[in-house]
Amino acid sequence: MADLQQSATAESLPSQKAKTREPSDDHLRRLPWAFLAPALVIYSVVVVYPMVYSAYLSLFRWDGISPSKVFVGLDNYGILLTQNDVFWIALRNNAIWLVAALLLPTSIGLGLAMLLNSKFRGSHIFRSIFYFPAVLSLAVVGLIWTWIYHPDLGLLNQMLGVFGLKALQRNWLSDPQIALYPVIIAATWNAVGLPMLLYLAGLQTIPEELHEAAKVEGAGPIQRFLYVTFPLLRETTLVVLAITAINALKAYDIIYAMTNGGPANRTQLLSTWMYFLTYNYNQVGLGTAIAVILFSLTLIFAIPYIRFMTRKT
Amino acid sequence: MNQTIAKKEILPRQSKVALFYFALILAALIWFTPVITLVLTALKDAGDFARNGAFSFPKSIRWANFSEAWETGVKNYFWNSVIVTGFKVPIGIVLESMAAFALTHMHFKWADRVFTYILIGLIVPMQMTLVPLTLLMNALNLIDTLTGLTILYIGFGVPFGVLVMRGFFRTVPVAIIEAARLDGCSWFRIFYRIALPLALPAIVSLCILDGVATWNEFILAQIFLRSDELRTLPLGLVQFSTQFATQYNQLAAAVLIAVVPIMLVFLFFQRYFVAGMGGAVK
Repeated sequence: MADLQQSATAESLPSQKAKTREPSDDHLRRLPWAFLAPALVIYSVVVVYPMVYSAYLSLFRWDGISPSKVFVGLDNYGILLTQNDVFWIALRNNAIWLVAALLLPTSIGLGLAMLLNSKFRGSHIFRSIFYFPAVLSLAVVGLIWTWIYHPDLGLLNQMLGVFGLKALQRNWLSDPQIALYPVIIAATWNAVGLPMLLYLAGLQTIPEELHEAAKVEGAGPIQRFLYVTFPLLRETTLVVLAITAINALKAYDIIYAMTNGGPANRTQLLSTWMYFLTYNYNQVGLGTAIAVILFSLTLIFAIPYIRFMTRKT
Repeated sequence: MNQTIAKKEILPRQSKVALFYFALILAALIWFTPVITLVLTALKDAGDFARNGAFSFPKSIRWANFSEAWETGVKNYFWNSVIVTGFKVPIGIVLESMAAFALTHMHFKWADRVFTYILIGLIVPMQMTLVPLTLLMNALNLIDTLTGLTILYIGFGVPFGVLVMRGFFRTVPVAIIEAARLDGCSWFRIFYRIALPLALPAIVSLCILDGVATWNEFILAQIFLRSDELRTLPLGLVQFSTQFATQYNQLAAAVLIAVVPIMLVFLFFQRYFVAGMGGAVK
Protein backbone atom coordinates (compact mmCIF):
# COMPACT_ATOMS: atom_id res chain seq x y z
CA MET A 1 0.00 0.00 0.00
CA ALA A 2 2.76 2.37 0.94
CA ASP A 3 4.30 1.57 -2.42
CA LEU A 4 1.20 2.62 -4.31
CA GLN A 5 0.83 5.86 -2.42
CA GLN A 6 4.45 6.73 -2.94
CA SER A 7 4.27 6.09 -6.65
CA ALA A 8 1.09 8.10 -6.91
CA THR A 9 2.71 11.14 -5.36
CA ALA A 10 5.80 10.61 -7.44
CA GLU A 11 3.82 10.58 -10.67
CA SER A 12 1.78 13.61 -9.76
CA LEU A 13 5.01 15.56 -9.42
CA PRO A 14 5.99 17.04 -12.74
CA SER A 15 9.69 16.35 -12.20
CA GLN A 16 11.96 14.69 -14.73
CA LYS A 17 12.86 11.99 -12.28
CA ALA A 18 9.39 10.57 -12.30
CA LYS A 19 9.49 10.05 -16.04
CA THR A 20 12.36 7.57 -16.11
CA ARG A 21 11.62 5.69 -12.91
CA GLU A 22 8.39 3.91 -13.58
CA PRO A 23 7.34 1.55 -10.80
CA SER A 24 7.97 3.77 -7.76
CA ASP A 25 10.81 5.56 -6.08
CA ASP A 26 10.29 3.61 -2.91
CA HIS A 27 10.49 0.32 -4.73
CA LEU A 28 13.63 1.49 -6.47
CA ARG A 29 15.21 2.51 -3.23
CA ARG A 30 14.63 -0.97 -1.85
CA LEU A 31 15.67 -2.90 -4.92
CA PRO A 32 19.46 -2.57 -4.38
CA TRP A 33 18.97 -4.02 -0.91
CA ALA A 34 17.22 -7.01 -2.49
CA PHE A 35 20.24 -7.56 -4.74
CA LEU A 36 22.57 -7.19 -1.77
CA ALA A 37 20.54 -9.18 0.75
CA PRO A 38 21.75 -12.75 0.10
CA ALA A 39 25.43 -11.80 0.20
CA LEU A 40 25.05 -9.37 3.09
CA VAL A 41 23.01 -11.75 5.24
CA ILE A 42 25.36 -14.70 4.94
CA TYR A 43 28.43 -12.46 5.30
CA SER A 44 27.04 -10.75 8.39
CA VAL A 45 26.08 -14.04 10.04
CA VAL A 46 29.31 -15.88 9.21
CA VAL A 47 31.89 -13.10 9.53
CA VAL A 48 30.71 -9.90 11.20
CA TYR A 49 28.50 -11.17 13.99
CA PRO A 50 31.14 -13.74 15.14
CA MET A 51 33.77 -10.98 15.18
CA VAL A 52 31.73 -8.80 17.47
CA TYR A 53 30.76 -11.73 19.65
CA SER A 54 34.42 -12.80 19.97
CA ALA A 55 35.33 -9.36 21.29
CA TYR A 56 32.51 -9.69 23.81
CA LEU A 57 33.60 -13.18 24.89
CA SER A 58 37.14 -11.95 25.52
CA LEU A 59 35.76 -10.16 28.61
CA PHE A 60 34.72 -13.42 30.26
CA ARG A 61 36.36 -16.38 31.91
CA TRP A 62 34.77 -19.40 30.28
CA ASP A 63 35.69 -22.97 29.40
CA GLY A 64 33.38 -23.07 26.39
CA ILE A 65 31.19 -25.79 27.87
CA SER A 66 29.67 -24.75 31.19
CA PRO A 67 26.50 -22.66 30.96
CA SER A 68 27.83 -19.83 33.13
CA LYS A 69 30.44 -17.32 32.04
CA VAL A 70 32.22 -15.14 34.58
CA PHE A 71 32.64 -11.50 33.62
CA VAL A 72 36.24 -10.50 34.31
CA GLY A 73 36.61 -7.23 32.38
CA LEU A 74 40.02 -6.90 30.79
CA ASP A 75 41.58 -9.57 33.03
CA ASN A 76 42.16 -11.97 30.11
CA TYR A 77 44.34 -9.36 28.43
CA GLY A 78 46.17 -8.78 31.70
CA ILE A 79 46.78 -12.50 32.14
CA LEU A 80 48.16 -12.79 28.62
CA LEU A 81 50.48 -9.83 29.03
CA THR A 82 51.80 -10.70 32.48
CA GLN A 83 51.49 -14.43 33.08
CA ASN A 84 51.47 -16.16 29.72
CA ASP A 85 55.04 -16.71 28.50
CA VAL A 86 53.99 -18.40 25.30
CA PHE A 87 51.96 -15.32 24.38
CA TRP A 88 55.18 -13.31 24.33
CA ILE A 89 57.00 -15.98 22.32
CA ALA A 90 54.12 -15.94 19.84
CA LEU A 91 54.08 -12.14 19.66
CA ARG A 92 57.82 -12.05 19.06
CA ASN A 93 57.51 -14.74 16.38
CA ASN A 94 54.74 -12.76 14.72
CA ALA A 95 56.99 -9.70 14.70
CA ILE A 96 59.88 -11.65 13.13
CA TRP A 97 57.50 -13.21 10.62
CA LEU A 98 56.06 -9.81 9.73
CA VAL A 99 59.46 -8.20 9.17
CA ALA A 100 60.55 -11.14 7.01
CA ALA A 101 57.30 -10.98 5.04
CA LEU A 102 57.65 -7.26 4.41
CA LEU A 103 61.23 -7.67 3.20
CA LEU A 104 61.63 -11.01 1.42
CA PRO A 105 58.60 -11.81 -0.77
CA THR A 106 58.19 -8.16 -1.71
CA SER A 107 61.76 -7.58 -2.85
CA ILE A 108 62.06 -10.98 -4.54
CA GLY A 109 58.71 -10.38 -6.22
CA LEU A 110 59.81 -6.95 -7.44
CA GLY A 111 63.13 -8.32 -8.70
CA LEU A 112 61.44 -11.15 -10.60
CA ALA A 113 58.85 -8.79 -12.04
CA MET A 114 61.57 -6.43 -13.32
CA LEU A 115 63.42 -9.39 -14.82
CA LEU A 116 60.38 -10.97 -16.45
CA ASN A 117 58.58 -7.82 -17.55
CA SER A 118 60.39 -7.59 -20.87
CA LYS A 119 59.11 -9.91 -23.57
CA PHE A 120 61.81 -12.43 -24.37
CA ARG A 121 61.55 -15.99 -25.58
CA GLY A 122 60.28 -18.12 -22.70
CA SER A 123 59.40 -15.23 -20.38
CA HIS A 124 55.91 -16.67 -19.90
CA ILE A 125 57.26 -20.05 -18.84
CA PHE A 126 59.52 -18.41 -16.28
CA ARG A 127 56.62 -16.34 -14.94
CA SER A 128 54.60 -19.53 -14.46
CA ILE A 129 57.44 -21.31 -12.71
CA PHE A 130 58.05 -18.51 -10.25
CA TYR A 131 54.35 -17.92 -9.65
CA PHE A 132 53.42 -21.58 -9.25
CA PRO A 133 54.12 -22.05 -5.49
CA ALA A 134 51.57 -19.32 -4.82
CA VAL A 135 48.69 -21.54 -5.95
CA LEU A 136 49.59 -24.35 -3.54
CA SER A 137 47.87 -24.61 -0.18
CA LEU A 138 50.07 -23.70 2.76
CA ALA A 139 49.40 -27.11 4.25
CA VAL A 140 50.88 -28.72 1.13
CA VAL A 141 53.78 -26.25 1.10
CA GLY A 142 54.44 -27.16 4.72
CA LEU A 143 54.44 -30.88 4.00
CA ILE A 144 56.80 -30.56 1.03
CA TRP A 145 59.29 -28.44 2.95
CA THR A 146 59.13 -30.74 5.95
CA TRP A 147 60.82 -33.38 3.78
CA ILE A 148 63.40 -30.92 2.58
CA TYR A 149 64.31 -30.21 6.20
CA HIS A 150 64.24 -33.89 7.24
CA PRO A 151 67.42 -34.42 9.31
CA ASP A 152 68.59 -37.66 7.58
CA LEU A 153 66.81 -37.92 4.25
CA GLY A 154 66.06 -34.27 3.58
CA LEU A 155 67.48 -32.47 0.59
CA LEU A 156 68.96 -29.59 2.58
CA ASN A 157 71.20 -31.67 4.81
CA GLN A 158 72.12 -33.91 1.86
CA MET A 159 73.21 -30.89 -0.17
CA LEU A 160 75.20 -29.48 2.72
CA GLY A 161 76.92 -32.87 2.94
CA VAL A 162 77.69 -32.90 -0.79
CA PHE A 163 79.28 -29.46 -0.61
CA GLY A 164 81.38 -30.41 2.39
CA LEU A 165 79.41 -28.24 4.79
CA LYS A 166 78.50 -31.02 7.23
CA ALA A 167 79.13 -28.62 10.11
CA LEU A 168 76.06 -26.62 9.04
CA GLN A 169 73.73 -29.61 9.07
CA ARG A 170 70.94 -29.22 11.57
CA ASN A 171 67.82 -30.88 12.76
CA TRP A 172 66.11 -27.87 11.25
CA LEU A 173 62.58 -28.14 12.58
CA SER A 174 63.35 -29.55 16.02
CA ASP A 175 66.08 -27.15 17.06
CA PRO A 176 64.27 -24.68 19.36
CA GLN A 177 66.76 -21.91 18.59
CA ILE A 178 66.17 -21.83 14.85
CA ALA A 179 62.99 -23.77 14.05
CA LEU A 180 61.00 -20.65 13.13
CA TYR A 181 63.30 -19.59 10.30
CA PRO A 182 63.01 -22.67 8.09
CA VAL A 183 59.23 -22.26 8.34
CA ILE A 184 59.50 -18.62 7.28
CA ILE A 185 61.61 -19.64 4.27
CA ALA A 186 58.95 -22.15 3.24
CA ALA A 187 56.24 -19.50 3.65
CA THR A 188 58.29 -17.06 1.58
CA TRP A 189 58.45 -19.58 -1.26
CA ASN A 190 54.65 -19.46 -1.35
CA ALA A 191 54.33 -15.71 -0.76
CA VAL A 192 56.51 -14.44 -3.64
CA GLY A 193 53.94 -15.04 -6.39
CA LEU A 194 51.43 -12.38 -5.41
CA PRO A 195 53.84 -9.42 -5.19
CA MET A 196 55.41 -10.58 -8.45
CA LEU A 197 52.02 -10.59 -10.16
CA LEU A 198 51.03 -7.20 -8.77
CA TYR A 199 54.38 -5.66 -9.71
CA LEU A 200 54.14 -7.12 -13.22
CA ALA A 201 50.73 -5.48 -13.56
CA GLY A 202 52.17 -2.24 -12.17
CA LEU A 203 55.09 -2.26 -14.58
CA GLN A 204 52.70 -2.61 -17.52
CA THR A 205 51.26 0.80 -16.73
CA ILE A 206 54.62 2.59 -17.02
CA PRO A 207 54.99 4.01 -20.53
CA GLU A 208 58.07 2.81 -22.42
CA GLU A 209 58.83 6.40 -23.51
CA LEU A 210 59.76 7.41 -19.97
CA HIS A 211 62.56 4.86 -19.95
CA GLU A 212 63.70 5.90 -23.39
CA ALA A 213 63.75 9.53 -22.32
CA ALA A 214 65.77 8.72 -19.21
CA LYS A 215 68.17 6.66 -21.31
CA VAL A 216 68.70 9.56 -23.69
CA GLU A 217 69.41 11.78 -20.70
CA GLY A 218 72.20 9.35 -19.79
CA ALA A 219 70.59 7.56 -16.84
CA GLY A 220 72.02 4.10 -16.16
CA PRO A 221 69.85 1.09 -15.26
CA ILE A 222 70.15 1.71 -11.50
CA GLN A 223 69.26 5.38 -11.83
CA ARG A 224 66.34 4.52 -14.10
CA PHE A 225 65.04 2.10 -11.48
CA LEU A 226 65.48 4.53 -8.57
CA TYR A 227 64.15 7.66 -10.25
CA VAL A 228 61.69 6.38 -12.85
CA THR A 229 60.40 2.89 -12.16
CA PHE A 230 60.22 2.73 -8.39
CA PRO A 231 58.48 6.09 -7.81
CA LEU A 232 55.86 5.12 -10.40
CA LEU A 233 55.29 1.84 -8.59
CA ARG A 234 54.46 3.64 -5.35
CA GLU A 235 50.78 2.67 -5.36
CA THR A 236 51.55 -0.95 -6.23
CA THR A 237 54.11 -1.04 -3.44
CA LEU A 238 51.56 0.21 -0.92
CA VAL A 239 49.08 -2.47 -1.95
CA VAL A 240 51.78 -5.15 -1.94
CA LEU A 241 53.04 -4.22 1.52
CA ALA A 242 49.54 -4.08 2.97
CA ILE A 243 48.47 -7.42 1.50
CA THR A 244 51.69 -9.20 2.50
CA ALA A 245 51.44 -7.84 6.04
CA ILE A 246 47.80 -8.88 6.39
CA ASN A 247 48.57 -12.35 5.00
CA ALA A 248 51.62 -12.69 7.26
CA LEU A 249 49.48 -12.10 10.32
CA LYS A 250 47.03 -14.73 9.08
CA ALA A 251 49.74 -17.44 8.86
CA TYR A 252 48.51 -20.61 10.50
CA ASP A 253 48.27 -23.72 8.29
CA ILE A 254 51.98 -23.86 7.55
CA ILE A 255 52.91 -23.87 11.24
CA TYR A 256 50.34 -26.54 11.88
CA ALA A 257 51.71 -28.70 9.06
CA MET A 258 55.40 -28.21 9.86
CA THR A 259 55.99 -27.84 13.59
CA ASN A 260 52.57 -27.70 15.26
CA GLY A 261 53.94 -24.88 17.40
CA GLY A 262 56.82 -26.95 18.72
CA PRO A 263 59.50 -27.66 19.80
CA ALA A 264 58.46 -26.47 23.27
CA ASN A 265 56.08 -23.84 21.83
CA ARG A 266 58.99 -22.08 20.18
CA THR A 267 57.22 -21.66 16.84
CA GLN A 268 53.82 -20.60 18.14
CA LEU A 269 52.22 -17.62 16.45
CA LEU A 270 49.31 -15.70 17.90
CA SER A 271 47.06 -17.55 15.45
CA THR A 272 48.20 -21.02 16.51
CA TRP A 273 48.38 -20.16 20.21
CA MET A 274 44.78 -18.94 19.98
CA TYR A 275 43.83 -22.38 18.66
CA PHE A 276 45.76 -24.20 21.40
CA LEU A 277 44.29 -22.12 24.22
CA THR A 278 40.74 -22.36 22.91
CA TYR A 279 40.47 -25.90 21.64
CA ASN A 280 43.12 -27.81 23.58
CA TYR A 281 43.05 -26.01 26.95
CA ASN A 282 39.43 -24.76 26.90
CA GLN A 283 40.50 -21.22 27.78
CA VAL A 284 37.93 -19.51 25.59
CA GLY A 285 38.39 -16.11 27.24
CA LEU A 286 42.14 -16.11 26.68
CA GLY A 287 41.74 -17.47 23.17
CA THR A 288 39.30 -14.78 22.07
CA ALA A 289 41.47 -12.12 23.73
CA ILE A 290 44.40 -13.26 21.55
CA ALA A 291 42.13 -13.11 18.51
CA VAL A 292 41.24 -9.52 19.35
CA ILE A 293 44.92 -8.62 19.75
CA LEU A 294 45.74 -10.28 16.43
CA PHE A 295 42.91 -8.39 14.74
CA SER A 296 44.10 -5.08 16.21
CA LEU A 297 47.59 -5.71 14.83
CA THR A 298 46.07 -6.46 11.43
CA LEU A 299 44.15 -3.18 11.52
CA ILE A 300 47.39 -1.19 11.65
CA PHE A 301 48.11 -2.36 8.11
CA ALA A 302 44.54 -2.79 6.97
CA ILE A 303 43.16 0.68 7.63
CA PRO A 304 45.46 2.43 5.12
CA TYR A 305 44.73 -0.41 2.68
CA ILE A 306 40.95 -0.11 2.99
CA ARG A 307 41.24 3.67 2.67
CA PHE A 308 43.15 3.13 -0.55
CA MET A 309 40.62 0.65 -1.93
CA THR A 310 37.59 2.86 -1.25
CA ARG A 311 39.26 6.14 -2.12
CA LYS A 312 38.56 6.13 -5.85
CA THR A 313 34.80 5.82 -5.60
CA MET B 1 78.21 7.03 -22.13
CA ASN B 2 81.66 5.88 -23.17
CA GLN B 3 81.80 3.47 -20.31
CA THR B 4 78.58 1.70 -21.22
CA ILE B 5 79.71 1.31 -24.80
CA ALA B 6 83.00 -0.13 -23.62
CA LYS B 7 81.20 -2.61 -21.39
CA LYS B 8 79.04 -3.76 -24.24
CA GLU B 9 82.09 -4.53 -26.31
CA ILE B 10 83.74 -6.64 -23.62
CA LEU B 11 80.73 -8.95 -23.54
CA PRO B 12 79.31 -9.56 -26.99
CA ARG B 13 75.53 -9.62 -27.24
CA GLN B 14 75.20 -13.33 -27.83
CA SER B 15 77.11 -14.42 -24.78
CA LYS B 16 75.22 -11.87 -22.71
CA VAL B 17 71.97 -13.49 -23.78
CA ALA B 18 73.37 -16.92 -23.02
CA LEU B 19 74.48 -15.78 -19.58
CA PHE B 20 71.06 -14.28 -18.91
CA TYR B 21 69.31 -17.53 -19.80
CA PHE B 22 71.80 -19.61 -17.84
CA ALA B 23 71.25 -17.55 -14.68
CA LEU B 24 67.48 -17.55 -15.12
CA ILE B 25 67.26 -21.30 -15.74
CA LEU B 26 69.47 -21.98 -12.73
CA ALA B 27 67.27 -19.78 -10.53
CA ALA B 28 64.12 -21.45 -11.88
CA LEU B 29 65.56 -24.90 -11.17
CA ILE B 30 66.43 -23.99 -7.60
CA TRP B 31 63.00 -22.41 -7.18
CA PHE B 32 61.31 -25.55 -8.46
CA THR B 33 63.44 -28.02 -6.46
CA PRO B 34 60.71 -28.67 -3.87
CA VAL B 35 58.25 -29.62 -6.62
CA ILE B 36 60.81 -31.80 -8.40
CA THR B 37 61.64 -33.51 -5.10
CA LEU B 38 57.96 -34.14 -4.54
CA VAL B 39 57.50 -35.78 -7.94
CA LEU B 40 60.66 -37.89 -7.61
CA THR B 41 59.65 -39.08 -4.14
CA ALA B 42 56.15 -40.00 -5.29
CA LEU B 43 57.61 -42.30 -7.96
CA LYS B 44 59.99 -44.24 -5.68
CA ASP B 45 59.58 -47.35 -3.61
CA ALA B 46 60.14 -47.05 0.13
CA GLY B 47 63.53 -48.79 0.10
CA ASP B 48 64.90 -46.55 -2.63
CA PHE B 49 63.83 -43.48 -0.67
CA ALA B 50 65.40 -44.75 2.56
CA ARG B 51 68.71 -45.50 0.83
CA ASN B 52 69.05 -42.55 -1.53
CA GLY B 53 66.95 -39.81 0.02
CA ALA B 54 64.58 -37.49 -1.72
CA PHE B 55 66.66 -35.95 -4.50
CA SER B 56 67.76 -38.78 -6.75
CA PHE B 57 66.17 -40.41 -9.75
CA PRO B 58 63.99 -43.39 -8.86
CA LYS B 59 65.66 -46.74 -9.56
CA SER B 60 62.35 -48.00 -10.85
CA ILE B 61 59.10 -46.11 -11.15
CA ARG B 62 56.44 -47.27 -8.74
CA TRP B 63 53.00 -46.09 -9.85
CA ALA B 64 51.38 -48.16 -7.11
CA ASN B 65 52.15 -45.33 -4.65
CA PHE B 66 49.29 -43.40 -6.21
CA SER B 67 46.72 -46.18 -6.13
CA GLU B 68 47.69 -47.07 -2.55
CA ALA B 69 47.44 -43.48 -1.38
CA TRP B 70 44.12 -43.13 -3.21
CA GLU B 71 42.69 -46.22 -1.54
CA THR B 72 44.04 -45.36 1.95
CA GLY B 73 41.78 -42.33 2.17
CA VAL B 74 42.83 -39.75 -0.39
CA LYS B 75 39.87 -40.83 -2.52
CA ASN B 76 37.46 -39.56 0.16
CA TYR B 77 39.40 -36.35 0.77
CA PHE B 78 39.50 -35.68 -2.96
CA TRP B 79 35.75 -36.08 -3.52
CA ASN B 80 34.94 -34.05 -0.41
CA SER B 81 37.06 -31.22 -1.78
CA VAL B 82 35.33 -31.55 -5.16
CA ILE B 83 31.88 -31.39 -3.55
CA VAL B 84 32.65 -28.39 -1.34
CA THR B 85 34.38 -26.46 -4.14
CA GLY B 86 31.67 -27.44 -6.64
CA PHE B 87 28.89 -25.96 -4.51
CA LYS B 88 30.74 -23.05 -2.97
CA VAL B 89 32.08 -21.42 -6.12
CA PRO B 90 28.92 -21.11 -8.27
CA ILE B 91 26.63 -20.15 -5.38
CA GLY B 92 29.18 -17.65 -4.14
CA ILE B 93 29.57 -16.04 -7.54
CA VAL B 94 25.83 -15.53 -7.98
CA LEU B 95 25.53 -13.81 -4.61
CA GLU B 96 28.71 -11.79 -5.07
CA SER B 97 27.90 -10.51 -8.55
CA MET B 98 24.35 -9.51 -7.55
CA ALA B 99 25.79 -7.54 -4.65
CA ALA B 100 28.53 -6.00 -6.78
CA PHE B 101 25.98 -4.99 -9.42
CA ALA B 102 23.86 -3.21 -6.82
CA LEU B 103 26.96 -1.40 -5.57
CA THR B 104 27.99 -0.13 -8.99
CA HIS B 105 25.01 0.50 -11.27
CA MET B 106 21.82 0.86 -9.25
CA HIS B 107 22.27 4.46 -8.04
CA PHE B 108 22.51 3.13 -4.52
CA LYS B 109 23.01 5.85 -1.95
CA TRP B 110 24.69 3.57 0.59
CA ALA B 111 27.04 1.92 -1.91
CA ASP B 112 30.30 3.23 -0.42
CA ARG B 113 29.37 2.45 3.14
CA VAL B 114 28.17 -1.06 2.33
CA PHE B 115 31.32 -1.72 0.29
CA THR B 116 33.54 -0.66 3.20
CA TYR B 117 31.51 -2.88 5.51
CA ILE B 118 32.10 -5.81 3.16
CA LEU B 119 35.81 -5.07 2.81
CA ILE B 120 36.34 -5.58 6.55
CA GLY B 121 35.97 -9.29 5.86
CA LEU B 122 39.16 -9.27 3.77
CA ILE B 123 41.31 -8.50 6.75
CA VAL B 124 39.66 -10.44 9.56
CA PRO B 125 41.89 -13.19 10.91
CA MET B 126 39.88 -16.41 10.96
CA GLN B 127 40.67 -16.77 14.69
CA MET B 128 38.44 -13.79 15.39
CA THR B 129 35.37 -15.78 14.31
CA LEU B 130 36.09 -19.34 15.40
CA VAL B 131 34.51 -19.54 18.85
CA PRO B 132 31.16 -17.91 17.98
CA LEU B 133 31.03 -19.93 14.76
CA THR B 134 31.57 -23.11 16.76
CA LEU B 135 28.65 -22.18 19.01
CA LEU B 136 26.49 -21.26 16.01
CA MET B 137 27.28 -24.39 14.03
CA ASN B 138 26.65 -26.49 17.11
CA ALA B 139 23.27 -24.91 17.63
CA LEU B 140 22.35 -25.52 13.98
CA ASN B 141 23.67 -29.11 14.02
CA LEU B 142 26.05 -28.25 11.21
CA ILE B 143 29.30 -29.31 12.88
CA ASP B 144 30.98 -32.10 10.95
CA THR B 145 28.93 -31.64 7.80
CA LEU B 146 30.06 -30.57 4.35
CA THR B 147 26.93 -28.42 4.10
CA GLY B 148 27.98 -26.40 7.14
CA LEU B 149 31.49 -25.97 5.83
CA THR B 150 30.20 -24.85 2.42
CA ILE B 151 27.97 -22.21 4.05
CA LEU B 152 30.96 -20.85 5.96
CA TYR B 153 33.04 -20.75 2.78
CA ILE B 154 30.31 -18.82 0.97
CA GLY B 155 30.21 -16.26 3.79
CA PHE B 156 33.96 -15.81 3.92
CA GLY B 157 34.15 -15.61 0.13
CA VAL B 158 31.84 -12.58 -0.13
CA PRO B 159 34.45 -9.82 0.39
CA PHE B 160 36.92 -10.99 -2.24
CA GLY B 161 34.18 -11.90 -4.72
CA VAL B 162 32.44 -8.55 -4.38
CA LEU B 163 35.79 -6.78 -4.72
CA VAL B 164 36.63 -8.55 -7.99
CA MET B 165 33.14 -8.27 -9.51
CA ARG B 166 32.77 -4.63 -8.49
CA GLY B 167 36.14 -3.89 -10.07
CA PHE B 168 34.79 -5.34 -13.29
CA PHE B 169 31.28 -3.86 -13.25
CA ARG B 170 32.82 -0.43 -12.84
CA THR B 171 34.29 -0.80 -16.31
CA VAL B 172 30.88 -1.53 -17.86
CA PRO B 173 29.75 1.75 -19.45
CA VAL B 174 26.84 3.42 -17.70
CA ALA B 175 25.39 4.26 -21.14
CA ILE B 176 24.59 0.59 -21.85
CA ILE B 177 22.73 0.20 -18.58
CA GLU B 178 20.88 3.50 -18.98
CA ALA B 179 19.84 2.63 -22.53
CA ALA B 180 18.34 -0.61 -21.29
CA ARG B 181 16.57 1.29 -18.50
CA LEU B 182 15.01 3.67 -20.99
CA ASP B 183 13.80 0.70 -23.01
CA GLY B 184 11.88 -0.35 -19.93
CA CYS B 185 14.12 -3.25 -18.97
CA SER B 186 13.78 -4.30 -15.33
CA TRP B 187 16.88 -4.20 -13.13
CA PHE B 188 16.83 -7.92 -12.76
CA ARG B 189 16.74 -8.44 -16.54
CA ILE B 190 19.56 -5.92 -16.98
CA PHE B 191 21.55 -7.86 -14.43
CA TYR B 192 21.26 -11.29 -15.96
CA ARG B 193 20.82 -10.41 -19.65
CA ILE B 194 23.36 -7.56 -19.94
CA ALA B 195 25.70 -7.24 -16.96
CA LEU B 196 26.40 -10.94 -16.35
CA PRO B 197 27.20 -11.84 -19.98
CA LEU B 198 29.50 -8.82 -20.20
CA ALA B 199 31.19 -9.92 -16.98
CA LEU B 200 32.03 -13.40 -18.27
CA PRO B 201 35.83 -12.88 -18.23
CA ALA B 202 35.65 -11.61 -14.66
CA ILE B 203 33.44 -14.54 -13.69
CA VAL B 204 35.93 -17.02 -15.12
CA SER B 205 38.76 -15.30 -13.23
CA LEU B 206 36.82 -15.35 -10.01
CA CYS B 207 35.83 -19.00 -10.52
CA ILE B 208 39.48 -19.95 -10.77
CA LEU B 209 40.85 -17.82 -7.94
CA ASP B 210 37.95 -18.80 -5.71
CA GLY B 211 38.14 -22.44 -6.71
CA VAL B 212 41.83 -22.60 -5.83
CA ALA B 213 41.29 -20.80 -2.52
CA THR B 214 38.44 -23.13 -1.56
CA TRP B 215 40.38 -26.22 -2.60
CA ASN B 216 43.27 -25.08 -0.38
CA GLU B 217 41.36 -23.88 2.69
CA PHE B 218 42.57 -25.39 5.94
CA ILE B 219 41.58 -23.81 9.24
CA LEU B 220 37.78 -23.84 8.90
CA ALA B 221 37.90 -27.43 7.68
CA GLN B 222 40.13 -28.32 10.62
CA ILE B 223 37.78 -26.82 13.19
CA PHE B 224 34.45 -27.85 11.72
CA LEU B 225 35.07 -31.30 10.25
CA ARG B 226 35.62 -33.97 12.86
CA SER B 227 35.25 -37.36 11.20
CA ASP B 228 37.93 -38.74 8.92
CA GLU B 229 35.62 -39.60 6.01
CA LEU B 230 34.49 -35.98 5.70
CA ARG B 231 37.92 -34.36 5.61
CA THR B 232 38.89 -32.20 2.65
CA LEU B 233 42.28 -32.59 0.98
CA PRO B 234 44.58 -30.16 2.86
CA LEU B 235 43.26 -31.36 6.19
CA GLY B 236 43.32 -35.01 5.16
CA LEU B 237 46.89 -34.74 3.91
CA VAL B 238 48.18 -33.28 7.16
CA GLN B 239 46.37 -36.07 8.99
CA PHE B 240 47.78 -38.60 6.55
CA SER B 241 51.26 -37.25 7.24
CA THR B 242 50.98 -37.91 10.97
CA GLN B 243 49.53 -41.37 10.45
CA PHE B 244 51.95 -42.50 7.76
CA ALA B 245 54.90 -40.47 8.98
CA THR B 246 57.48 -42.87 7.58
CA GLN B 247 55.93 -43.72 4.23
CA TYR B 248 57.17 -40.65 2.44
CA ASN B 249 56.66 -42.06 -1.02
CA GLN B 250 52.94 -42.65 -0.40
CA LEU B 251 52.55 -39.30 1.27
CA ALA B 252 54.25 -37.61 -1.66
CA ALA B 253 51.89 -39.42 -4.03
CA ALA B 254 48.94 -38.23 -1.94
CA VAL B 255 50.19 -34.63 -2.03
CA LEU B 256 50.69 -34.87 -5.77
CA ILE B 257 47.11 -36.06 -6.24
CA ALA B 258 45.99 -32.92 -4.41
CA VAL B 259 48.30 -30.66 -6.40
CA VAL B 260 47.67 -31.96 -9.93
CA PRO B 261 44.16 -30.46 -10.34
CA ILE B 262 45.50 -27.09 -9.20
CA MET B 263 48.46 -27.46 -11.55
CA LEU B 264 46.16 -28.18 -14.51
CA VAL B 265 43.86 -25.27 -13.73
CA PHE B 266 46.91 -23.06 -13.42
CA LEU B 267 48.39 -24.21 -16.73
CA PHE B 268 45.20 -23.75 -18.72
CA PHE B 269 43.78 -20.62 -17.13
CA GLN B 270 46.93 -18.76 -16.20
CA ARG B 271 46.02 -15.42 -17.71
CA TYR B 272 42.85 -15.33 -15.61
CA PHE B 273 44.93 -15.29 -12.43
CA VAL B 274 46.51 -12.07 -13.64
CA ALA B 275 43.19 -10.60 -14.78
CA GLY B 276 41.44 -11.53 -11.53
CA MET B 277 44.11 -10.13 -9.24
CA GLY B 278 44.28 -7.01 -11.39
CA GLY B 279 40.53 -6.57 -10.97
CA ALA B 280 40.91 -6.86 -7.21
CA VAL B 281 43.39 -4.02 -7.04
CA LYS B 282 41.76 -1.64 -9.48
